[in-house]
Amino acid sequence: MTRFFAWGTFLLGCLFFALPLIGMTEFSLKMRRGEYSFDAYRRVFEDQRFWDTFSYSLILAAATIVVGVLLVVPTAYWVRLKLPQARPVIEFITLLPLVIPAIVIVFGYIRLYNTSSFLPLTGSALGTDILLTMGYTTLALPYMYRSVDTGLRTIDVATLTEAAQSLGAGWITILSRIILPNVMVAVLSGAFLTLAIVLGEFTMAALLNRPAFGPFMQLLGANRAYEPPALAVIAFAITWGCMGLMQLVTRFSKHERAKA
Amino acid sequence: MSFLTLTHLEKSFGANRVVKDFNLSVEKGEFISLLGPSGCGKTTVLRMVAGFETPTAGGITIDGRDVTSLKANSRNIGMMFQAYALFPNMTVADNVAFGLRVKGVPRAERDARVAEMLALIGLSEMGGRFPFQLSGGQQQRVALARALAPRPSVLLLDEPLSALDAKVRVSLRNQIRQIQQDLGITTIFVTHDQEEAMSISDRIVVMNGGVADQVGAPFEIYNRPRTKFVANFVGTLNTFEVRVTDPATGRVALAGQDLTLPDAPLSARTGETLTVALRPEALRLGRLADAEALLPAKVTDVHFMGSVIRLRADVAGTDVSLDTFNRPDTPPPTVGSMIEVSLSGRDFIQLRA
Ligand SMILES: Nc1ncnc2c1ncn2[C@@H]1O[C@H](COP(=O)(O)OP(=O)(O)OP(=O)(O)O)[C@@H](O)[C@H]1O
Ligand SMILES: [Mg+2]
Repeated sequence: MTRFFAWGTFLLGCLFFALPLIGMTEFSLKMRRGEYSFDAYRRVFEDQRFWDTFSYSLILAAATIVVGVLLVVPTAYWVRLKLPQARPVIEFITLLPLVIPAIVIVFGYIRLYNTSSFLPLTGSALGTDILLTMGYTTLALPYMYRSVDTGLRTIDVATLTEAAQSLGAGWITILSRIILPNVMVAVLSGAFLTLAIVLGEFTMAALLNRPAFGPFMQLLGANRAYEPPALAVIAFAITWGCMGLMQLVTRFSKHERAKA
Repeated sequence: MSFLTLTHLEKSFGANRVVKDFNLSVEKGEFISLLGPSGCGKTTVLRMVAGFETPTAGGITIDGRDVTSLKANSRNIGMMFQAYALFPNMTVADNVAFGLRVKGVPRAERDARVAEMLALIGLSEMGGRFPFQLSGGQQQRVALARALAPRPSVLLLDEPLSALDAKVRVSLRNQIRQIQQDLGITTIFVTHDQEEAMSISDRIVVMNGGVADQVGAPFEIYNRPRTKFVANFVGTLNTFEVRVTDPATGRVALAGQDLTLPDAPLSARTGETLTVALRPEALRLGRLADAEALLPAKVTDVHFMGSVIRLRADVAGTDVSLDTFNRPDTPPPTVGSMIEVSLSGRDFIQLRA
C-alpha cells in the first residue's frame, strides 16, 4: 500500500513537470498549419542575434567560471585547512546572493561604478563585461562554493597538504597539482550550474544593457508566437546537456571511483 | 654534535602544555622510536621536527643547521602518515615522482629514481596503478617510496602501520627497517606498540605526559626501566613487597628467602618494605641450580600461546605472571596444581616513581 502511494505520488510529480514541457514542445512544432515541423527551430537558428547573444553569454559564462574557481577553490580550501571555525560564517556569506535580488546588486553596481565614479567600469563595453562577470560570479557563488566544499570533504585536505609540504611543495603547487585535480568533479558540476545560470540570466544583462542570451529570449518572447517555445526547448536541452555532462564526468573520472 | 637534535623543546596549545622540556640527540643513520600512550605528545614532537607545528620554546637542528623556524617545505624531510595520504589523482609512479618534480629534477633522472624506488619496495609492476587499486600495505609502501625518493635527510613515520592487519604490519615493519638500514637514513618512528618499537629500533624514547621518561636501547628499556611508568608500559611486570635486611649490600627478604638486589645501596632502611618488580620470564618454573631462591606457588590460570606458556600463579600471597617455553614432551601445569618457581635477586627491578 505504501509502495502504491509512493509510486502514485511519483507519477503525479512527473506529470506535473512533464505536461507543460510536452505541451510547450508540441506547440513549438506547430508553426506550419496542420502538420508538425521544425520551422520555428529553423527560424531561431537562422536568426543572427541568436548566435551573437548565445556566444556572448557562453564567453561570459566561461569567464565567470574561471573567476569563480579562482575565488572559491582557494577560499574553501583555506577555510577547511586553517579556519574551520569560520565555516558557518563563510557559508552564510555565500548564501547571501540567494537572498539579495539581482536587481539590488546591479543597481548597487551602477551606483558604484558609473561613469562619474572613481572606477567608471560602466563607461566602456569591456568594463561593463567585467562588471557583469563579477555579477554572475556572485549569483553563482552559492552553487560553486557548495559543490567545491562538498568535493573537499571527500579528501583528507590536511594530511594531503602536509604530505605535499614535506615533499617540498608550496601553496601554488599544492592547490594546482593536488587540491584542484581532486575536486575537479565538484568544480565541473559547479561550472555547469554556473553555465546554466549565466545562460538564463536576464536582470543583470538587461540593466547593464549587454547583448546576452537572457534578454534575447525575453525580446523574442515578447514579439513572436512559435519561436519562444522553440527557444525554451533549446535552453532546456542545453541545461539538461550540462547535467548529463556532469554525470558523465563523475562516472568517468578514474580516481573518483575510489571514493564512491 | 649529533645529526638531529631537539633541545628543551616545548609545545603548548593554549594553556595545555603538551610537550615539556623534551631533549633528544639522534645520530646519523639511527632508528629512534617514540613510544608512549595515546595523547602523550608523540605526534606533536614529530610534527615539530617536520615543521608542521612551531615549538613554543626550544630548538631543532638537523645536520648542524638550526631549522626551528624553517618552513616545512624547505626542511627536506620525508614523512609517512597513518592514513597513507597518497595523492588520489596521481598514479603510483607520479606519487613517487612528486617530490622530485617539485625539486625540478630532470625527467631522465626522475624516471630512473622512481624505478629504483619502486624496485626497492617491490612494486615495480604497479607504477601505472592508482592508489585505490592497491591494498593498504601496498599503499603504505608507495608512501614510503614517495617519502624516500627526494633523498630526505630525516625520515619521520607517524604510526604508519596501525591501519594494517597484523601479518602485513610485521612484514612491513621489517621491510621499513631493512630499507632504513640499507639507505642509512636517520629515522624517527612513532608508535604506541611496544613490541613494534622494540623489534626495529636502535633506541626507544618512552614518553609520558609530554616528557621523555627514558631513552635507551630496547634491551636497556626493557630490562632496566628507570621509572614505574616505563616498566609498566613496556612489557608485563610482577611487583613484590620485600623487607630490607641490609641496605648497604642490597639484601632483602621475600617469604623467608634471602635475596640480593642489584643497584645497592638501597634507598630504604633496614626493616622497611620496598616494592620491587620482576619480568614474567625471570620467574622460572621448577628447581634451578643457579637461582637464589625457590618458592612454592599455586597455578591459577594457564594461557597456552604457542612457543610460550604464560601462567598466573599465587607466589607468597602475590598474584604473578610467569612465562615458560613450550616443550613438546611436557604438558603445561594444570590450574590448581602446586608448582615451584625459582627466582634471583639480580633480576629484580627497582623503580622510582
Ligand atoms: N592542534 C591541536 N590543538 C590543541 N590540542 C592539540 C592539538 N594537537 C594535539 N593536541 C593535544 O596534544 C596532546 C598530545 O597530542 P599528540 O597528537 O601529540 O598525542 P600522541 O602521543 O600522538 O597520541 P596518539 O597515540 O593518540 O596519536 C593531546 O592531548 C591533544 O589533545
Ligand atoms: Mg599521534
